[in-house]
Amino acid sequence: MVISSKCVTKSDDLAIRDIAGETIIVPVKNNVGDLNSIYTLNEIGTFVWRLIDGATSITQIVNAICEEYDVQSEEAEKDVVTLTSSLEAAGLVRSPE
Amino acid sequence: MEIHHYGDWSSQINQRVVNQRIPIIGTIELTSRCNLRCIHCYNTKTSGDQHSQRGEELTYNEHCRILDEATESGCLWACYTGGEIFTRPDFLEIYTYAKRRGVLITLFTNGTLITPRIADLLAEWRPFSIEITLYGRTKETYEQITGIIGSYEKCMQGIQLLMDRGLPLKLKTVVLTANKHEIGDMKQFAEKDLELEFRFDTMINPGRDCSKEPLAFRLSPQQVVEMDLMDSKRLSEWNGFCEQFNGPISSEQNNGLYHCGGGIKSFSIDPYGQMGICLLLAKERYDLRVGSFKEGWENVLIKVRREQNERHTKCTACQIKAMCGMCPANGWLENCDKEEPVDFLCRVAHLRAHAFGFTVPPHGECEFCESGIRYEELMCSFEQLSHCA
Repeated sequence: MVISSKCVTKSDDLAIRDIAGETIIVPVKNNVGDLNSIYTLNEIGTFVWRLIDGATSITQIVNAICEEYDVQSEEAEKDVVTLTSSLEAAGLVRSPE
Repeated sequence: MEIHHYGDWSSQINQRVVNQRIPIIGTIELTSRCNLRCIHCYNTKTSGDQHSQRGEELTYNEHCRILDEATESGCLWACYTGGEIFTRPDFLEIYTYAKRRGVLITLFTNGTLITPRIADLLAEWRPFSIEITLYGRTKETYEQITGIIGSYEKCMQGIQLLMDRGLPLKLKTVVLTANKHEIGDMKQFAEKDLELEFRFDTMINPGRDCSKEPLAFRLSPQQVVEMDLMDSKRLSEWNGFCEQFNGPISSEQNNGLYHCGGGIKSFSIDPYGQMGICLLLAKERYDLRVGSFKEGWENVLIKVRREQNERHTKCTACQIKAMCGMCPANGWLENCDKEEPVDFLCRVAHLRAHAFGFTVPPHGECEFCESGIRYEELMCSFEQLSHCA
């Protein structure tokens, strides 16, 4: 698997809430997400979310995870790619055009 | 990331926050003023009282500060209610501020002040839910209740504007002696014609000042139970609820004055910044104009919530509490005493128990139980109900 140099950007129309130990992504405007669903992030998901800024690449995020957690880069990469794809499919992040 | 179905996730987190005592649900009454003059309303302020009432209401800036503090403490759901929320010219500013903070918002409105501009903004900043109260299916009945000529057409227009934009609208009503005959038509209109969710409530409260005028339009206990029986969905929900919650009372339940989520996971704020357990109970409040939300939640509402019953009443060991609406707020409004049993509610609960086939274990001196002085009267109502069924 080739580690991506792609960067993704968070949608502007979201709010992040930390409630009862859970990180929740709340869509704020109509064109984001599905209001019948609730998107939550686990600990690593929250770690990744904080690094998504449109400038940090998937590779850099994977490296940051490997530094923070005891995990192999291939496994971390797989997780990050899966997460960012899900976020993108839900309209919560977007790839550069 | 996990994507959860909203309903499942909601019940799960609601369970969890109870143990952690997080104020996850807020009811925020923005104004007591209203453009309608409903005969049964517990609020007495009208939109004409601009200077006397408007000036005392929390400002936009105060709302923003309170929202910041409430969300910091964990508020996720908020219901904005009134009065009529759209009588406040700055409502949409308050609303979009709360949306940006990541609050899931329900709006309670009579729908009569909704304009295309408001509907467009709500479509852009989509609420979690909007609930419009429909007071009648015909103009005559609707306006007999609201007291304002032309309000029926405005309500219909409001409903249409929201539906045109695909907003998450629900209709509801409060059943009064004046509109009881149109409940079937209202249900048909909402569920069949508009394909919207519809529910009704048969309980109305005295005025906030404990005045009894609104009760002149309340159904009789027998009519309340008739309404339960005529709606199969409602009946099945009642049965499920009673199966789950009726039964022996634990000593903790026995002693505690409050049994709702108030002060455990929910709070209310009135138009003037008074924070409490419940909007209906204008006692034991905390003034958010002089202190923080956190201080009110952690130091004041917890004490209110921990209040114990001071005396033994027929409610203490009652095992059919799930069929009754008795709570400190109702006790206060009806009897000016948070613990005094409410005769109307007690009668409804006993009638429901008979109608739904639940036995009523003895629970002290109760007029409506088998050896009580009003048992015969109750059974007479029950027989009449059986004939109707």
